[in-house]
Amino acid sequence: MATTSQDPSLDPAQAALLARVEPAVLEEQALVTNNRDFNWVTNKICRIVETETPLWWWVCMAVALATAAFTGIGLLWLVSTGVGVWGLANPINWGWAIVNFVFWIGIGHAGTLISAVLCLLKQGWRTSINRAAEAMTIFAVVCAGIFPLFHVGRVWFAWWLFPIPNANGIWPQFRSPLEWDVFAVSTYGTVSVLFWYMGMIPDLGVLRDRAVQRLKAGLYGKGFSMQQAMDVFRKYLYGIFAMGWRNAGNHWRNYEMAYLILAGLSTPLVLSVHTIVSFDFALSVLPGWHTTIFPPYFVAGAIFSGFGMVLTLMLPLRALYGLHDLITQRHIDNMCKICLGTGSIVGYAYIMEFFIAWYGANPYESYAFINRAFGQYWWAYLMMFSCNVFTPQLFWFKKVRENAALVWVMSIFINVGMWFERFVITVTSLANDFLPSSWGYYSPTIVDIMTFFGTFGLFSVLFLLFLKFLPLMPIAEVKFVMPAADPHGAHGDDKGGKH
Amino acid sequence: MDSKDLSGPRYWKSLDDLSETPAFKEWVEREFPAGASELNGVNRRSFMKVMAASFGLAGLGVAGCRRPEQVILPYSKQPENVIPGIPVYYTTAQPGNRSHTPIIVETHTGRPTKIEGNPSYVANGGATSGFTQASLLDLYDPDRATKSFTGTQRLSKEKLLDFIAQLASEAKQNGGQGFAVLAEPSSSPSRMRLVESLKAQYPSMIWAEYSPLHDAASEQVLTELLDQPARALPRLAETKRILSIDADFLTGDNGIAQSRAFASTRKVKDSKEAKQMSRLYAVESSLTQTGSMADHRLRLSCSQMAAFIAQLSLEILDVAALNPELLASIRKIAATQELDGRWVSECAADLLAYKGQAIVLVGEHLSPAVQSIAVAINQQLAAPIDYVEIPAAEAGIELIAQKLKTKQIDTLLILGGNPAYDAPADLNWSQLQATAKRSVYFGGAHNETAELASTFIAASHYLESWGDGRAFDGTLVPVQPMIEPLFDTFNELELLARLAAQTETDAYSIVKSTFKLSGGRDFNRFLSDGLLSDSAYGKISVAPSAEKLFKLVAADSVASSAATLSMDKLELRFTANAHSYDGRYANNGWMMECPDSITQLTWDNAILISPRLAKELEQTQGVQIFPSKKPMNKDSAFFEAAKGTLQTNTAKFKRGKEQAVVAKLTVAGKQIEAPIHVLPGLANYTLVLPLGMGRTVVGRVGKGVGFNAYPLRTSQGLGYCLGATIQLTEKVYPLANTQEHWSMEGRAIVRESTASYYSKKSDFATQMGVESHAPANYGKDKDKTLQEKVTNQYRGNSAYKHPSFTKPAPNVKVWEGHEDKFPDVQQWGMAIDLNSCTGCNACVVACQSENNVPIVGKDQVLRGREMHWLRIDRYFSAEKYDQSEIPEDVQVSFMGMMCQHCENAPCEQVCPVNATVHDSQGLNTMAYNRCVGTRYCANNCPYKVRRFNFFDWNKRQIGEFYKGPLGPVDEPELQKMQKNPNVTVRMRGVMEKCTFCTQRIEAAKIEQKRLAGASGDIKIPDGKIKTACQQACAADAISFGDVSDVNSEVSQAKASDRDYSVLGYLNARPRTTYLARLRNPNPKMPDAYKYPYAYSQYKKRYGSAAPSQHSKGASHVHDAAHPAH
Repeated sequence: MATTSQDPSLDPAQAALLARVEPAVLEEQALVTNNRDFNWVTNKICRIVETETPLWWWVCMAVALATAAFTGIGLLWLVSTGVGVWGLANPINWGWAIVNFVFWIGIGHAGTLISAVLCLLKQGWRTSINRAAEAMTIFAVVCAGIFPLFHVGRVWFAWWLFPIPNANGIWPQFRSPLEWDVFAVSTYGTVSVLFWYMGMIPDLGVLRDRAVQRLKAGLYGKGFSMQQAMDVFRKYLYGIFAMGWRNAGNHWRNYEMAYLILAGLSTPLVLSVHTIVSFDFALSVLPGWHTTIFPPYFVAGAIFSGFGMVLTLMLPLRALYGLHDLITQRHIDNMCKICLGTGSIVGYAYIMEFFIAWYGANPYESYAFINRAFGQYWWAYLMMFSCNVFTPQLFWFKKVRENAALVWVMSIFINVGMWFERFVITVTSLANDFLPSSWGYYSPTIVDIMTFFGTFGLFSVLFLLFLKFLPLMPIAEVKFVMPAADPHGAHGDDKGGKH
Repeated sequence: MDSKDLSGPRYWKSLDDLSETPAFKEWVEREFPAGASELNGVNRRSFMKVMAASFGLAGLGVAGCRRPEQVILPYSKQPENVIPGIPVYYTTAQPGNRSHTPIIVETHTGRPTKIEGNPSYVANGGATSGFTQASLLDLYDPDRATKSFTGTQRLSKEKLLDFIAQLASEAKQNGGQGFAVLAEPSSSPSRMRLVESLKAQYPSMIWAEYSPLHDAASEQVLTELLDQPARALPRLAETKRILSIDADFLTGDNGIAQSRAFASTRKVKDSKEAKQMSRLYAVESSLTQTGSMADHRLRLSCSQMAAFIAQLSLEILDVAALNPELLASIRKIAATQELDGRWVSECAADLLAYKGQAIVLVGEHLSPAVQSIAVAINQQLAAPIDYVEIPAAEAGIELIAQKLKTKQIDTLLILGGNPAYDAPADLNWSQLQATAKRSVYFGGAHNETAELASTFIAASHYLESWGDGRAFDGTLVPVQPMIEPLFDTFNELELLARLAAQTETDAYSIVKSTFKLSGGRDFNRFLSDGLLSDSAYGKISVAPSAEKLFKLVAADSVASSAATLSMDKLELRFTANAHSYDGRYANNGWMMECPDSITQLTWDNAILISPRLAKELEQTQGVQIFPSKKPMNKDSAFFEAAKGTLQTNTAKFKRGKEQAVVAKLTVAGKQIEAPIHVLPGLANYTLVLPLGMGRTVVGRVGKGVGFNAYPLRTSQGLGYCLGATIQLTEKVYPLANTQEHWSMEGRAIVRESTASYYSKKSDFATQMGVESHAPANYGKDKDKTLQEKVTNQYRGNSAYKHPSFTKPAPNVKVWEGHEDKFPDVQQWGMAIDLNSCTGCNACVVACQSENNVPIVGKDQVLRGREMHWLRIDRYFSAEKYDQSEIPEDVQVSFMGMMCQHCENAPCEQVCPVNATVHDSQGLNTMAYNRCVGTRYCANNCPYKVRRFNFFDWNKRQIGEFYKGPLGPVDEPELQKMQKNPNVTVRMRGVMEKCTFCTQRIEAAKIEQKRLAGASGDIKIPDGKIKTACQQACAADAISFGDVSDVNSEVSQAKASDRDYSVLGYLNARPRTTYLARLRNPNPKMPDAYKYPYAYSQYKKRYGSAAPSQHSKGASHVHDAAHPAH
């Protein structure tokens, strides 16, 4: 039974009532559990980088590299032979490439949302996941960028999409959503990299300092030692990238200010990138594409898929590196709730599309949507709907959220469902549009499949390198949200900090 | 120096370098180097080569650069009238079996590149068929015969002449005993003259002619009836009522002229003229183009046709006046089948009501009784038909077969054709041909017959040969060569002249002599006109003999025997193939890839079966033919309300590929295996077998394409035969079908009405579709004239700034006051009259030929990557709207679909690199060089007319696209020669589409500027520019021209109240608009319909239909959104 501290100003009747109903204490779970101190946090995060690379890392890296090779081979064949090696054809001129592009770009959304939007909203729980999420964003943008670049017929002229002054006086066509994509994605990529790097500077300083300390401490004795060589390497490399970080007060002040500015800059990007990606579809005349609901629905879907991917990545990391005190149930709960919220928005959008198609009284529109759900691609729609609408609804239940294994499986469902959402939008609309005479069917070739499969390898390679060489979490920021960082908080209270 | 020096790697850097050579020095020192031949070593040719090589190198600057080494030789003497880039046109004629087709050939620097009809031949009016268009490609066929052989030994020209002389002398010695010639029939008077001479010289020689699809049954009957060889020439332009009894008169030998004449009776300018439209009744066993144009169509088996025409004749003929015996035999035939009596009597009544303007046409495969009754009916109807006298037919292949059997033939000369492949199966030709001691084959390609022959003589293509012939109406036409024979080939006339030991052995002289003998005077005029006027066959005014008529009717046992058909006793109908005709175009890629207008199949033929038979086969044999899964549940009220119901495909598709069940087809102990394709509109128990595919000895294109139906075809049943059975197998064969979905799904795409409804409600076409209740496209300007809209309205979206030609340059004062010298830029537009289009596909091939459109092969068509800039969409619509059943009776609608040149083009707006932009003339242009290939434009094109080069179609060979850099990369020289030099050959990775033949527009503009001179009158007169599709169209369905000129033909067409834009509500404002189609049903007929099926389907699903059609509650929901039209 919980004790109730009562306000003495309450009148006795109320006090009696309160005593009778025994209101429950709403516990807020700490963001760093088990009463850890600052030193533990620093060691925990830095040792991932500093200790010997575990075997699983090497195994994963080998597998990831081999997988990434598929993308390389696929693209080589594509460029040397022609776009025909993919399954594209009239009328489905965009297939897996664009689906994959939107899929990866969508995944990228969580990173910026966590680091920028949640930062501005002062959500303390973002700290343990934002670094990895941002890394995920950047690597997802890298994977995403491959597809629109290589899907063009003459990739060697892809630079014509950039507004480069030329002798012909021909500029890109600024009214094309595809052109806006070029700017949106490149801006997003650039700002994400900046933000990520900016946030990492204090931690790079820590890694540098720790290496310097070890070297000075004479740990290594005489003769060559691998550890020593690595530390020398760390000293200089992190040294360069830490840009002279000295942990000084004015450094911190500038850092905080710059971080806030970048967060402010990134926030609109969270909305703009996927809005513009949705314009690729929404600004066309095609039934099934030409809808005003696309921008909010795409943004919600992107955040949904992004958090799905963060869960997919963070839950195994938490287990592998023993980060249970840093990535707590509260973090998982919060992420699940965001998935639930955005998944519901997406589900609402799916249903709203049908309403508008009916309400719009346009036979082409209404057909496009009915066909989406019940036509030749019904299986894709079913996949999409069940993964994206039904799966997150399970997050209403605490039992589900507390079962990490189940959450992980569901996060995979979300990823799959969101890929199918893009497939449904892209392919079904193209396959059956205005004139029944040109209706067709799209199926990918092995090259399509392998090229996409390979991007998971590429993503993994990049992510494994990130794990190996960069701090997985922002050390300083995690410390900010620890009870020890709050001099006025309840010291010694094993409930931890309140943020 | 020797010219061989040039072949080595040694080059001179410059002329100075070369001038150091002693030979050159000497040559220069001579004051008058008069002749190259005087020099030692350096002759004129090698000098030119040296010049070319050195200039080539000088241009490179650095030796060692790895540019392709090419020796460019300029004309040492520029031929007169040859200007590179300016085509020269010559008249000639395409030889056929019954007639020659007069054509004009466009040549570029000596290369024929495009075939067009000769407008001087009025009957065809400058139109051509797809086959005629495609015959050009055979000239450049890399697999064509290039040299002659005896066994495996090459026959040089000299040896060949010796060989022919030897044949002639042998024949001379024994009077032609043991010498037989099997030729393809030909209308060439020169050949006839030579044949007569041969026959005179070698009296025992056998001359026979054979062609598998020589549709001359009517001529044989007429010959009997009129006592002289005769041909019927219907004057269709004068008709108001036509009954076609399995006569696909819109295709075939005289199809162009007949399509043209028929279309002229269907042209409707406005609603007042609607009722003057002609009416076509079609009784058909197979679904043909003619059937698709019919206002009433009755499905009957070939074997029921005799009963039908007999019953009809009893209604039409004056029964009382008939010979009682004839009447009895007609009654006997009429009694063989139970038919819809009302259909027959109402049809007969309608024909009789239009006496003098009604005609009955009969298919050539039908029996003599049917043919003769038709002659009698036409006589009774005073039908507009001319009977003309034609040369007598020669003996048939049976004669030679019989002589071969009895070993009476030592030397067999086969002139063209391919009997080893296409002779009637009962002759067993392949074995017979081997029994001749010596068989000589003269032909244009190495084929099945050549394979069996001991000597093969390579024949020249007709574009390389001199010759002559007669058009279908008998007009004398020349065949003149466009180019020297590309290979070591021989001309047929020369071969015959040498065999006949004539003194005049060159074809040109032979043709000229024949011309003189036929009464022609001005040979050059003959060549330039392409025909000799007033040389048509003479008309016959003899009435058909009644006695002979009786004989023919009574003697016809086939007609008078009742045939009951069922699943176990099927009828087989043999037809020409849309791709290869009888097999002769089997190696022609354009034809192979041109979809059959009815089945939309490319690269294949299939056994066509009716939906009823398919269902019965499915049930009894347990093999699935139809798609099992209904994509959308038709029983659910929800789907009905949402209008999402789908009419199921007639064929099973797996990943967009038609999965045709392979069947074993047996008749009289002979069996073949072939895929089946379910086609609505067929007689229930008639199987249609297109001939001419499945060739075994053929070039790369025709290899492994389709199945061969000839093994089932015997002399007894050349047109059709009875008693076939079909056994389905578990095997599945993918068919390359370019249109998977047959139904228009009630959408207002092809808009149709009946003539009578149109005369009451003239604006029906604009009252359909979403645009009828969406905001007007031009907003407040919606009521402006077309001319104002195309000149003053917002359009284009081009980022390029176009120079304004419409006013003088602002800084040039000189032109002030002369603004009239700067007329407005002409605005191009197109109108397509759906009422005329017969879906013949000639435009598709013409476009391919004109615009260097590549072929992609079956595998790529299966993937949906065909490149046609212009396609013919074919929709079926059925009376009963039931999406679970495949209809048995359908109405067919055709729609030519190409780039619509939208003023608000959705493609332009989305191209990120400005590769597709609008120009000042209203064309949606494609800058191939700028295209990076995002394909966004193709996605956003509502008409799906943009085509993407997924591979380097032009540089890679079919079947090697996927090899990438590992495959051979270059186009054979021979194929390159066909290309139109005025149209860019597109590389891989770029988008392409119809340009409105912009090269023709530009050529006309340049020409007009030249003509205008100082007058400044640069406005191109109407009709000067014809797009390739327009030019080929026999039905004149396409009009093209300046839409800013109110008087132009196209503006006149667009002024029609039937004019509408497809998907007009999108506000893309297409420059190509369509004129709605009209059907002209007879309300008294049992199958009369108030609206065309397509229209009632639209009304039912999307329009505000009559109250009775609102019975289903759910469908109200949607209609509420539609205000009354």
